[in-house]
Amino acid sequence: MIKSYIKIWWKLTLATTQISLQSRFGTFIFLIGKIMRFSFFLFFLIVLVTKTKAIAGYSIWEIVLFYATFNLLDSLPQFFFRNVYRFREQVLNGYFDNLLLKPLPSLFHPLFGGSDALDLIILFASIFFIFYAGLHIKNISAINIFSYILLVSNGFLISAGFHIFVLASGILTTAVDNVVLVYRDITQMGRLPVEVYQEPLRGIITFVVPVGIMMTFPVKAMLGLLSWQTMSFSLFVGLTLLFVSIKFWNNSLKHYTSASS
Amino acid sequence: MKKYIKVITSTFDEIATYRFNFAVWRFRTVLQLLAIYFLWLTVAPKGGQVFGYTQPLMLTYILGVSFVGSIVISTRTYEIGENINSGELSHFLAKPWSYFGYWFARDIGDKAFNICFSIAELIILYILLKPTLVLQSHIGLVILTLIAISIALLINFFIGCLMGMIGFWSPEVWAPRFIFFILTGFLAGTAFPLDIFPIWFQNILQFSPFTYLLYFPLVIYLNKLTTSQLLSGFVISIIWLAILLFATKYIWSRGLKIYSSHGG
Repeated sequence: MIKSYIKIWWKLTLATTQISLQSRFGTFIFLIGKIMRFSFFLFFLIVLVTKTKAIAGYSIWEIVLFYATFNLLDSLPQFFFRNVYRFREQVLNGYFDNLLLKPLPSLFHPLFGGSDALDLIILFASIFFIFYAGLHIKNISAINIFSYILLVSNGFLISAGFHIFVLASGILTTAVDNVVLVYRDITQMGRLPVEVYQEPLRGIITFVVPVGIMMTFPVKAMLGLLSWQTMSFSLFVGLTLLFVSIKFWNNSLKHYTSASS
Repeated sequence: MKKYIKVITSTFDEIATYRFNFAVWRFRTVLQLLAIYFLWLTVAPKGGQVFGYTQPLMLTYILGVSFVGSIVISTRTYEIGENINSGELSHFLAKPWSYFGYWFARDIGDKAFNICFSIAELIILYILLKPTLVLQSHIGLVILTLIAISIALLINFFIGCLMGMIGFWSPEVWAPRFIFFILTGFLAGTAFPLDIFPIWFQNILQFSPFTYLLYFPLVIYLNKLTTSQLLSGFVISIIWLAILLFATKYIWSRGLKIYSSHGG
């Protein structure tokens, strides 16, 4: 069963990538733009940490690790959940009616309906910088690395949960554009460790919209700064959020009335 | 003149019709502002200095970017490209008004709405965050800031028009704008004043038009420039304005020569 889902995802991804490669000029410019955005902020962080010695007590390589982890958890969901950005339009033009008739789980196509290979460039850059920063940070044990991978996976689950919330909102109301971009703006705060932000903002982005759990906690685990209790709590939040979001999706689907003719 | 005033008011009404979407957009702007505000609050120590900025100077700069940005950066010129690609331009050409006058009036309507929201947001943030801000009492500097903002507004308008006119030659009108947003985000001083960079980089940046969009008006307000920096800044920004004005006129005349549309 899983194999056939992967096969469908692969076909949808090939089609989506072919569409985005149709305009080579646009593709080239968007790629350049993504690389520029990644590099500019990295340059800014390096200037900032070099001149101020530390941000919230972290060294330059630790800050680079936070930034690269943020980019990994920003680009990975973007790559897999790219169709969420197109979903509202699919509801409005009636394409979603067509999707519901297909012998696939209702969430499959809205969530995984075609990844864009253009998103991979930042994904690879992030992985490179995670390795590179990791090499410059001392005293990282195998357990730290395992905890990091576990919490990055948890961050991905939290992101999946949010994307499902966005999809469900798109079914309940067609009045709001770009809810997913609000989510992305909030997660932008994860470019730096949440300690940078003061209360009550820090509390909000750690527990209400768990950007801290998604993006700061994995790095803290890698640096050996996270207790096992906090790690367990993070995993609990991730799984609960995913469970609640799927429930919310199923409930929204019951209220779905075709928006198009 | 009456017709342009009508365009301003109708643009204002248009945004008010979709006010919830606009509010969401402004909410996103506030989120971005908060992220940068708290970063600098942590980095710039109370009573100390970072990159030559005290905490009040830096926070004034960051909140000032939000306000000046609502005047300078907000624009409707992104619709020009679609207007050309869809053939709607033909309707405008048949009407008795200046095409760029129409878009400038659209810009003013858009800016008016953004300014109202920006003022409300900054008042709320001021009440909630209680930052110590710098209020400029030197009337001359305030006047120079307003002049620099006016130049910045026009520079941004003409850059927007030029990018829109790519539509004469290509349907790819969004990709160059994407690059422009990224460049503005970094090179205009949106998240930080540009004088935090090494001198060699600042020397290059002073010749870029982006410097004069946000950074230049704000450092005038904060009295961070010497007289010679002030003079050279105005000279370079006026030269950029002239270049962009002539480029807009030239590209417009070239574009019209190859423009064609189908249907009615």
